[in-house]
Amino acid sequence: MIDRSRALQLVRRGQIITVIGLVGFVGLIVRAMAFTPVEIRQGPAQKIMYIHVPAAWGALMAIFMAGVLSAAYLWLKDDRVDRAAAASAEVGVAFGAVMLTTGPFWGKPVWGAWWVWEARLTSTLFLILLFVGYLVLRDAVSDRANRARFSAVIGTMGLVLVPFVHLTVYMFRTQHPEPVILKPEGPTLPPAMFWTAMLGVLVFTVLYFGFVSQRYALAVLEELKEDEMQNAA
Amino acid sequence: MPPDNAGYMYAAYIIGGVLVVAYAVYLFFRTQRLK
Repeated sequence: MIDRSRALQLVRRGQIITVIGLVGFVGLIVRAMAFTPVEIRQGPAQKIMYIHVPAAWGALMAIFMAGVLSAAYLWLKDDRVDRAAAASAEVGVAFGAVMLTTGPFWGKPVWGAWWVWEARLTSTLFLILLFVGYLVLRDAVSDRANRARFSAVIGTMGLVLVPFVHLTVYMFRTQHPEPVILKPEGPTLPPAMFWTAMLGVLVFTVLYFGFVSQRYALAVLEELKEDEMQNAA
Repeated sequence: MPPDNAGYMYAAYIIGGVLVVAYAVYLFFRTQRLK
């Protein structure tokens, strides 16, 4: 049985976590602009890394979680798992939009091009478009059980495609740089830059939990409203 | 001397910030409507 008061409590918690995340976001921008050194060859445009990389982390983590939860739904058939997968997928697409729009502003001054059709960029774009399709599919199917089953099949792709996107820079000759933080031999950034990037990762992780909590509770409230309307009809 | 390309940084921070805040506001109003 879905509990309305617990959903409202989750909304409240999600909002508080989101506000903490947004304050952290402002702190991240201030630290990146005023307290992190300028990279000598790339100039201030390199500082786009402190929003682009954490957004990519947030997007890929969210979509990977959507993949894990989708696979779990196919096994458990639990509505709560389906809602959590959908919430994570939507947040993944939102962070994906941040990743895909900030990247070109770094690419233009450093590569000389807004966009390059190479393996990392192209696979990331297709991954985000796949999950846009996932969200559209959820809106198009009204029966809850079918919606959960169909979307879980697509969502499971996140489990396979996120590791693939991460490994594209090793598997193909790409223009996109290899990781400077998440690599087997450890981070290779100077400490001031590394900690700003870590703050960004922390901020986007906090925002992920804030957004997912709200989005999950929103799905509960929507289902309750649907049930009320069906009972009234 | 590093290249002077701060404009790209400002543009990326503004767009990224607007998107994050827009999603937070969207969730806030969507939940308010269902409360």
